[in-house]
Amino acid sequence: MRDFKLHRRQVFQGLIALSAVGGIAACSEQTNSSSDATADSAISSGLFDAADMALIAALSETLIPRTDTAGAIDAEVPDTLQALATDWGDEGFQSYWLTGLANLRTVLNERAGARFETLEHSQRGEVLSAYDRAVFDGDIEDGFYRDFKNTVIQAFYMSEPGATEALAYEPVPGEWIGCVPLSDYPKNWAT
Amino acid sequence: MAEFDVIVVGSGMSGGWVAKEMCEQGFKVAVIERGRSISPTEDYSDFINPWDVEHLNRKTAQDLEDYRIQSEVYAFQSYTRQFWVKDTEHPYETAEGTDFRWLRGYHEGGKSIMWARQSYRLSEIDFRANKTDGHGVDWPVRYDDLSPWYDYVERFAGISGSVEGLEILPDGIYQPPHDLTCAELDFRDRIEAEFPGRRVIPGRAANLTEPTQEQMDLGRGKCQARNHCFQGCSFGAYFSSNSATLPAARRTGNLTFISDRAVHKVIIEEATGKAAGVETVDTKTGERSRVTARVVFLNAGTIPSTMIMLNSASEQAPNGLGNSSGQLGRNLMDHHSGARGSAILPGHLDKHTFGRRPNGFYIPRFRNHTEEAEGFVRGYGYQGGAMRTSWWSAMDKKGIGDELKFDARTPGPWRISVVAFGEVLPNERNQIRLHPNKTDKWGFPIPILDAAWGENERNMVRQATRDTRAMLEAAGGIDIQTEDPETVEPAPPGIGIHEMGTARMGRDPSTSFLNKWNQSWDIPNLFITDGSFMSSGGCQNPSLTYMAFSARAANHAAELMKDGTI
Ligand SMILES: Cc1cc2nc3c(=O)[nH]c(=O)nc-3n(C[C@H](O)[C@H](O)[C@H](O)COP(=O)(O)OP(=O)(O)OC[C@H]3O[C@@H](n4cnc5c(N)ncnc54)[C@H](O)[C@@H]3O)c2cc1C
Repeated sequence: MRDFKLHRRQVFQGLIALSAVGGIAACSEQTNSSSDATADSAISSGLFDAADMALIAALSETLIPRTDTAGAIDAEVPDTLQALATDWGDEGFQSYWLTGLANLRTVLNERAGARFETLEHSQRGEVLSAYDRAVFDGDIEDGFYRDFKNTVIQAFYMSEPGATEALAYEPVPGEWIGCVPLSDYPKNWAT
Repeated sequence: MAEFDVIVVGSGMSGGWVAKEMCEQGFKVAVIERGRSISPTEDYSDFINPWDVEHLNRKTAQDLEDYRIQSEVYAFQSYTRQFWVKDTEHPYETAEGTDFRWLRGYHEGGKSIMWARQSYRLSEIDFRANKTDGHGVDWPVRYDDLSPWYDYVERFAGISGSVEGLEILPDGIYQPPHDLTCAELDFRDRIEAEFPGRRVIPGRAANLTEPTQEQMDLGRGKCQARNHCFQGCSFGAYFSSNSATLPAARRTGNLTFISDRAVHKVIIEEATGKAAGVETVDTKTGERSRVTARVVFLNAGTIPSTMIMLNSASEQAPNGLGNSSGQLGRNLMDHHSGARGSAILPGHLDKHTFGRRPNGFYIPRFRNHTEEAEGFVRGYGYQGGAMRTSWWSAMDKKGIGDELKFDARTPGPWRISVVAFGEVLPNERNQIRLHPNKTDKWGFPIPILDAAWGENERNMVRQATRDTRAMLEAAGGIDIQTEDPETVEPAPPGIGIHEMGTARMGRDPSTSFLNKWNQSWDIPNLFITDGSFMSSGGCQNPSLTYMAFSARAANHAAELMKDGTI
């Protein structure tokens, strides 16, 4: 299981790298075709096709990059979103996400002057950061982007790397102490 | 010859106590439970980690369909749905123009698995309230009658709390309290300075902070501060029938636990007019059978016990069994909530908390006690907590990358939330009836719940909201959020999950259903000790009171059985 997870993480890193050199450009028009065996078997199958997953992976990792602690891809956030949309989402949710992602792709590609997921990490950061600011400052109305971002945040901080590395998690604290120095426990508790 | 000495209908909070007491008195006891048996290893979900939670804990379409009403309660989660009834299987109706959210779980232990464990005594002021202001009937008991029984159940159940010397909220026997947080201590000091007569104290919760030998002998351990209680507790660290009373009953060898059987009726022996046992339906096969005993205790929960009595109507008792008073099904009460508030408490940014407290603070009632009130009698108490805001405050907010991660991992300000629970007056208009022709899939008439809160409750929730605001302001709160005190309405009946009062006890058989021993006036070997007996509700969470009355009634019945009276 562990190995498998590790493998999947590498695959996602790879997926972004791959898309960066245009390797999966070909699949972006073909939903779930098996034209690219690597990408196809690599991503969890479901509502989102390989191109969607590449965008989701790029967006998630830009929102929550690997720093000294795990990032969104380490935490398999794209898989979590795939499962959510595929197994949990009803038709309304699914079409909202597909449309929302497509719009986001168009908008970001336009702003980037290239396909968003093909940009270097730092460039992606610049593009997304500007867009994020515009949305939250109220200059642009994009409810889907807000939902998407919230879902990525949730998926990450509820994941094992998110809860245990990025935050602090004590499954069995053993006792409750109402007032401790922040310096002893500087991070937010995962729950 | 009856098969058993005692039948206890329902294995929840109150039934567990009757079973324990009767088994320990040496009687052969059958607990008849309509739900399944619970196995901690299979049913508890207390070892779940955040990443084990399916679909980011979102409710599924199936949940919303199957558990339309239950899924609204905070304790219903994707990993606790096993503890809630499917609304599709357990229908009920509400009278036109009324609302009632009936929240429940049918399984061994009943709601004692999911409860929030807040455990407060009623006071002499509560036991006198009906007599003082003329609503309902006078309680046939006073605080002194109950005080030793509160001691008794607290000692066994294990309640964490602090001794405060308050008349409105009598002290009990406590294990060490859960600390208040630094922000709560500050809040307490400011409130107590600004409003003499108001107190902010640690909540009193049925969680073991220092287990006794008796508790450990039952396999119960110390609370691990996980706050996973409503998922079941593998440490047995909070009181439930499953962790405490049923194991105590079982170890006597006198308990027969019959699961998956719903009681539909109490059987009355024509010659004597006494209860002979109950009629049951196997909930899996539909098979009907009888179980007989010398004494019957109804502990199916207020609404189900009342339904059983109504459904046991006969030629002799056309309005329901034991209902010569006509009070059966009337005076349905709950606690009204709705006066909520929250604010940021500035300061203490160099402090944090450790562990997850299964508890909070409590502000005992002050209206119509240390402070006057206009437009209503009785009062309300507050429950709340102040904690630092956590990672979710990174949601709905600008920022990506490092900034987002920093926001998510850095504790935010302290945010306090409070909610008032208010007393609901006994009112004959608020009632439970059986549907004349609709039944559930086991052939039991479904109930019609017909309850609406009145002026007293409305005026109370508005004042409670004003008081909430005033306290949050006095504490220096910013970003204060409350409802508009001029228009706020009490939350609908049922939401308090403290339904009670529909077979009240009293001093007079013509106006009450039970005498002071929870014994039917009409049928001497029939007792009810779930919330139905409550003559008034106080504003305190009621379960500790059900426990005390259950233990008291069981011991009284045991005496009557031993001397041959019943
Ligand atoms: C989320 C939540 C939080 C709560 N928090 C608190 C709190 O903090 N403090 C507090 O004091 N109270 C609290 N309560 C309320 C508390 O749980 C109830 O007051 C208490 O459980 C009532 O005890 P009972 O014995 O009357 O009923 P229950 O505990 O509900 O037990 C009734 C049992 O009877 C069984 N039954 C029903 N019908 C039949 C039938 N026809 N035949 C056979 N068996 C039947 C049921 O399956 C069930 O097992 C809370 C409840 C919930 C759900």
